[in-house]
Amino acid sequence: MERRLQQLFFALSLLALALILAAGWQANTPSWKTYQRSFLQIEAQGEPNAVTKAAVLATPPEIRQVLLPGLQRVDRCTTCHLGVEDPTMKNASEPFRYHAELGPHVPSRFGCTICHGGQGLATDKEGAHGNVAFWPNPLLSKDYIRASCGRCHKEGDVPGVPELTEGRRLFETQGCRGCHKLNGVGGSIGPDLTGEGANRRSPDWLEHHFLDPNAVSTGSAMPNLHFTKEQARDLTYFMLALTNEEMGSYFSSVRLIPSPEYGRQLFVEKDCLACHAVGGAGAKTAPDLLGVTKRHSTEWLDEQLVNPELVYPGSSMPEYDLETNARKALVAFLATATPEDVQLILSKKTRTMTPEDVAIEAGKQDFARFGCVGCHGTELQGGVANPNAQGGEVPSLLHVSADYTKDEVIAIIRNGRVPPMDNAAGPAPPLYMPAWKHVLSDEDINRIADYLWSKQEKNKDAW
Amino acid sequence: MNLIREIWQSIVRRDPLSTDKGKSELVFLNVWLHIHPAKVKKENLKFRHTFYLGFITFFLFLILLTTGIALMVYYRPYPPQAYQDMKDLQYVVFMGPFLRNMHRWAAHGMVICVFLHMCRVFYTSSYKKPRQFNWVIGVLLLLLTLGLSFTGYLLPWDQLAYWAITVGTNIGSYAPLVGGQVRELLLGGHSVGEAALLRFYVLHVAVLPSLMILLTIVHFWRVRKDGGLSRPIWKLNSKKIETLVTIGAPAEVAPLQVAAASKDKTYGLMEVVTGKPIFETVTPEEEEDTVFSYPYAFVREAVVLMATVTTIMAMSLFLNAPLEELANPAKTPNPAKAPWYFLGLQELVSHSALLGGVVAPALMVLALLAIPYLDRNTSRNLADRKLILWLFTIFVVANLALIVVGTFFRGPGWALVPPWVHVVAGAE
Repeated sequence: MERRLQQLFFALSLLALALILAAGWQANTPSWKTYQRSFLQIEAQGEPNAVTKAAVLATPPEIRQVLLPGLQRVDRCTTCHLGVEDPTMKNASEPFRYHAELGPHVPSRFGCTICHGGQGLATDKEGAHGNVAFWPNPLLSKDYIRASCGRCHKEGDVPGVPELTEGRRLFETQGCRGCHKLNGVGGSIGPDLTGEGANRRSPDWLEHHFLDPNAVSTGSAMPNLHFTKEQARDLTYFMLALTNEEMGSYFSSVRLIPSPEYGRQLFVEKDCLACHAVGGAGAKTAPDLLGVTKRHSTEWLDEQLVNPELVYPGSSMPEYDLETNARKALVAFLATATPEDVQLILSKKTRTMTPEDVAIEAGKQDFARFGCVGCHGTELQGGVANPNAQGGEVPSLLHVSADYTKDEVIAIIRNGRVPPMDNAAGPAPPLYMPAWKHVLSDEDINRIADYLWSKQEKNKDAW
Repeated sequence: MNLIREIWQSIVRRDPLSTDKGKSELVFLNVWLHIHPAKVKKENLKFRHTFYLGFITFFLFLILLTTGIALMVYYRPYPPQAYQDMKDLQYVVFMGPFLRNMHRWAAHGMVICVFLHMCRVFYTSSYKKPRQFNWVIGVLLLLLTLGLSFTGYLLPWDQLAYWAITVGTNIGSYAPLVGGQVRELLLGGHSVGEAALLRFYVLHVAVLPSLMILLTIVHFWRVRKDGGLSRPIWKLNSKKIETLVTIGAPAEVAPLQVAAASKDKTYGLMEVVTGKPIFETVTPEEEEDTVFSYPYAFVREAVVLMATVTTIMAMSLFLNAPLEELANPAKTPNPAKAPWYFLGLQELVSHSALLGGVVAPALMVLALLAIPYLDRNTSRNLADRKLILWLFTIFVVANLALIVVGTFFRGPGWALVPPWVHVVAGAE
């Protein structure tokens, strides 16, 4: 018995030793070392003499990482993807292939996961590509990588990614804010979308959701807005970019890309041609802007846009509250502006608006921007299904003046309203009119009412 | 050669181990081994008497101490770095996953073994006089084990940790009057956050381990001073009622007397204290049943030590400790569950917050602490203890049943969902 126990003790000790060795072997043979060895083989092939070949092959394996405090991440992708910044590797097979067309976005400054997704901290393929349990964002497929541009470039035009601009435009015009909050503004019927891009929704899920909300989310209150496939894709891009991350100063400074295209957009939006002309095309109240970038320095132009009166005392040019990159974009556009292009802008500006028209137009924009159109429709036609509400759908606003006075309507917008139920015992209708008094100013609400009434009159004319 | 011999003899001063004197001296001249008696009863060494559960628990604690200190080197107790350090352990630190797995599995193992150890002590009546107070120390050690496991649970700072601790500390806050304040003191705020992580870390690596070591020392010391291990129940002689005396605690039969001091004599303890000796081995017949601790006890303990270590190592090689997403206070998993050993409690709480969360656990702990004083039955025969055996068995089974229900049968919204039904949560 005692001898047996001693033998058992030694056997178990040997087993413990074997287990430690096994754990050490397991720890010492990670897959990234294999990748690094193959990469060294490829590199050594290119070396002319045996000495340098041997030196290359003798490079000790090491984990490579890019520390990105500004993006709150550490990316170890280059531990295996060793050739991303090496143009000679452009024909190599993955994981060593060179990453072409990066522009300024070199991995050593930006890492990889901010665009591609995945798990930067991981050092094995499965984990790094993020297709594992408990990692919220796996690698984005090729179709959706460009959505990540919007994670830093949150506003304006992103060259090469029209989907983002279009998605943002749809969001602001199709009434999404009526139910969803984004950055603190919007309704509370649907979920807050401020961090939606970090919410582990797959792009497929989002896209299906936009095409038919109930197909992927049973019982969702979200109406089917009959988006086209392209629109669903645009909105998906926009959602994927909404990650709401804290970013370092450099990364937040590129929120807006100062491109001439965006400058042109601003030029139209701010109606510079109301006073200025370019090469004779436009108004004559203010100086002609053709060649203005040659006459003045960049600093002068910037100052002029920030504070016109400081440059020209008594200048009648308004102060446009533009951020740095918006001013840069405007200047970039002015450097390339031609009279022909400006003629094109002028030709699209059909008629001059009366002050009343301007007010009604502003009301219409508010109606779209704050999401009223999501339920009441872009043409006030209503008709979005709302089970168990009287009539079963959101009411049309085309005949609202027949039932209410303007003041009553303003009160409803201010205080909200729960629709009367078809069947009092049934469930509450999913959609209701939120109270807007904490979101909209009285001025905005009055403008919206004016807009509604302008539509009423037109309809009466039509009868 | 003489020098080497001199050095050796300066370290090891005992006689050769071939002699009985040498075997005894090995034990009582060695600070680490002298917690053992020089001789132990053969029957007490039998596996089926104790299952060595106390030793296994102690060895698991040693594994936890060593792996825990190694883990401290890689860990920063503030969010979100704490979580990143977990990822680094997983992906970058040499043998990091193995280290963390060992710590995790040993911790779970310790909770299980300390509970089983308590059951063994109960069923063999080993809490009875003179061992009543050591049972109390044991219950405190059980509570400390749960506390250590609970505080350690938060440290990875993932969703699992965050919500388990949120739920766990919420249960505590149901206590009337002080519950809310205790929770706030523990968390350093109203919810689990940076302050809570730091406090749990301090408790986990400094306060609770120190208490654990101190009480473990008392527990071991008491085992010796209460007369060593209790006799296996199959060795009980029902006719003979044992009367035992411990130093400082006079028995009814023979009060301790202190001999009159004499000025020209120095005294050893044995001359000052009278009364019966503290060991159960008193008769010459029983003396024949004893063996030297070396090698009989030591080899068995060594085997148990290696069996414990290899089991934990083998588990750690193949089973990875869980690590979920980074803690997100805005995203509550449904259902949010406490650590498994508190799921019985959570199950009770789901029926009644005050009764289940406060009254029941408080009564349970009080009852456990009071068992040796409430049980006036001096017999250790199973046949004489039917009622209390039933009560304790019901207590154990009820606890296990509640934990099983809480772990496997509770789905979203704490609804009763059998484990073989898959529920898709998170549909909006």
